[in-house]
Amino acid sequence: MSGLVPGILKGLATTVRTMTKPTHTAEYPDAAPELPPRSRGVIALLEENCTSCMLCARECPDWCIYIDSHKETIPATTPGGRDRQRNVLDRFAIDFSLCMYCGICIEVCPFDALHWSPQFEYAELDIRDLIQEKDRLGQWMPTVPPPVALDEHSADPAELAASNKPPRAAGLVAGGRPARVARPAAAATTAAEPTPPVEPMLPPRRRGPSAAELVARASDIAEQQENGGEAR
Amino acid sequence: MTALEVTLRAVAVLAAFLVLPLLVGQTEHKVMAHMQGRLGPMYAGGFHGWAQLVADGVKFVQKEDLTPAAADKRVFRFAPAIALVPYLVALSAIPIHPGVQAATLPASAVFVLAIIGVGIIGTLMAGWASANKYALLGAMRAAAQLLSYELPMVLAVSSVCLAAGSLSLAGIVTQWHWWWLAWQAPGAVVFLTAAVAELQRPPFDMPVADSEIVFGAYTEYTGLRFAFFLLSEYAGIVVMSFLFAVLFLGGWHGPYAGALGWLWTVAKAFAIAIVIIWLRVAWPRLREDQLQRLAWLVLVPLALGQLLLTGAVIAVTGS
Amino acid sequence: MTAYDIAFAALGVVATGAALLAVTTRHLVHSALWLVVTLGAVAGCFLVLGAEFVALVQLLVYVGAIVVLVLFALMLTRAPIGPSSEHTTSLAHRGLAALVGAGTATLLLAVLLPLAGGPVDRREVASGQLARDLFGTWVWPFELLSVLLLGALVAAFAVSRAVRPDTGSAGGTP
Repeated sequence: MSGLVPGILKGLATTVRTMTKPTHTAEYPDAAPELPPRSRGVIALLEENCTSCMLCARECPDWCIYIDSHKETIPATTPGGRDRQRNVLDRFAIDFSLCMYCGICIEVCPFDALHWSPQFEYAELDIRDLIQEKDRLGQWMPTVPPPVALDEHSADPAELAASNKPPRAAGLVAGGRPARVARPAAAATTAAEPTPPVEPMLPPRRRGPSAAELVARASDIAEQQENGGEAR
Repeated sequence: MTALEVTLRAVAVLAAFLVLPLLVGQTEHKVMAHMQGRLGPMYAGGFHGWAQLVADGVKFVQKEDLTPAAADKRVFRFAPAIALVPYLVALSAIPIHPGVQAATLPASAVFVLAIIGVGIIGTLMAGWASANKYALLGAMRAAAQLLSYELPMVLAVSSVCLAAGSLSLAGIVTQWHWWWLAWQAPGAVVFLTAAVAELQRPPFDMPVADSEIVFGAYTEYTGLRFAFFLLSEYAGIVVMSFLFAVLFLGGWHGPYAGALGWLWTVAKAFAIAIVIIWLRVAWPRLREDQLQRLAWLVLVPLALGQLLLTGAVIAVTGS
Repeated sequence: MTAYDIAFAALGVVATGAALLAVTTRHLVHSALWLVVTLGAVAGCFLVLGAEFVALVQLLVYVGAIVVLVLFALMLTRAPIGPSSEHTTSLAHRGLAALVGAGTATLLLAVLLPLAGGPVDRREVASGQLARDLFGTWVWPFELLSVLLLGALVAAFAVSRAVRPDTGSAGGTP
């Protein structure tokens, strides 16, 4: 009972003090919310990175990713070469009415075709409209923020390290450990012919774009969209 | 008094009855929001959400008017009117300026108290006729609470009436002196506490405690009838604030009372309304037994002591 | 025939009708609500006759407190929605009640009817006059009544807090 009156007065004082302070309300539709860079708003698709490997669709716990693709044959570029096949993406759709934003698809994508975008304003009046096809998913790409900068003394990212590596021929000249060129046996069998450099013969390795590339590409897409919008 | 004058006065009271509760409601929205670090309504009407309650009213009108199948239909439908009309009638007896009140009554203080006491029957009817156990519990809590708090309230008012030697509200204001603020202070505290309890506002909102009994007697109400109950709550705040301003704060007394007396009354009443809102934000709800204990062990003795003090001062000064 | 006459007659009809409904209805709570109408109409009668203070006290005490208490007690015990058949009485009971009621009414009418007739004699009763009468002339009956009420109150307390011989504990533990 003794603490009653101070308690009562404290309640009054606290509320009045709060009234004199600025409010915490975020006036959302008028003022854009400040989202942390890793916000999970929507999943963006960088279509040219996708190989239709289906990993994302198979890992998705909700089975909310739909992928259709077909194989195309690319004729050999050199005479006597082998025809090559590649997957062409026909349909890539994410049903955001099922998606639970776990991000497993993004984690699992080996080629960085999927990215988180902080955009979240894509509500629909009809739930069926929440299935976003690949063109719609691609439109989110410009909104993907660039990756967070690395720490000050960290190692170079893998892409950068690979591109900075001295070329293999240079390794010999430098006099370090001799670079492995080709298997000796193979070299022996093809010794008669002039050996073209090994590098270009290898199929171009598809690796994820670097941060700089991503940003450049994103701005390209944005430009395209703007131009397209004007054209329309 | 001609028929035209009667009509004009009735229209004026009705206008005040429809506007002032909305004003108090909007003030509550904003004051409560800022006391909780929020902004409150910001969109309806454009400027700081001034039309929020109008929008709410439009929403209530559009809602379906439901009557539970098991309810006592006539009583159920009639209850909001019983709850609302007494405050309208009470508002007509409150003087806001020397000689300005809608209805001139010799014993207006008793009249206002008597009429306000009728409003509880509306809540009781609503709670009983809903055929819902939460509604019935709410109605019983309301009845118990209002019976307990009516006594200290009447005692506090009678102390002021005794001091002024008049049962008329206008007469009380005429007799009022600034030193009554100190003399009648315990009575004022009792009156304000009892008024908040009569209005079933926090911290005395046991009858509508949403975490315990949904919304008490109003649980089954929808649409316009529900809006009437809400309106009666805010009209009750208006009436109680005016009554407090007139009884304990000297109504129209203040600088330039001759010309600005009505403004003084309204300003004082508005300040009291803000205090009632403030109490809602600051304090938690009392338990039912604490409520009764407070009424009978604190407020009634305090009110009786005030009455004794008033009587003693009058006997000594011989006025 | 003045406006007062019309108002008084109308209020009297309302009061009588509501009173009849209060005793004949089979809905318990309706009965209490009709009682509210009756008491309100009686207060109106007082108002028409100029006894403003009495009318207001009638409203404050009877409508605002006593009927609320009755309703509260009804809800606390048993107040079903719809007619409650278990409370209906036998025909003999009803006949007897009607007889007693009619007798009382006749007695009252016999006393009051000679006073009736003529227009409403409106007499403004000032509150001061009422107070002088109540606390001067009628102070002993008034005080006697309050002592009676106090006695009833104390007795009610005693009954509700009595020690039960079978349980031996204070209070009404069932």
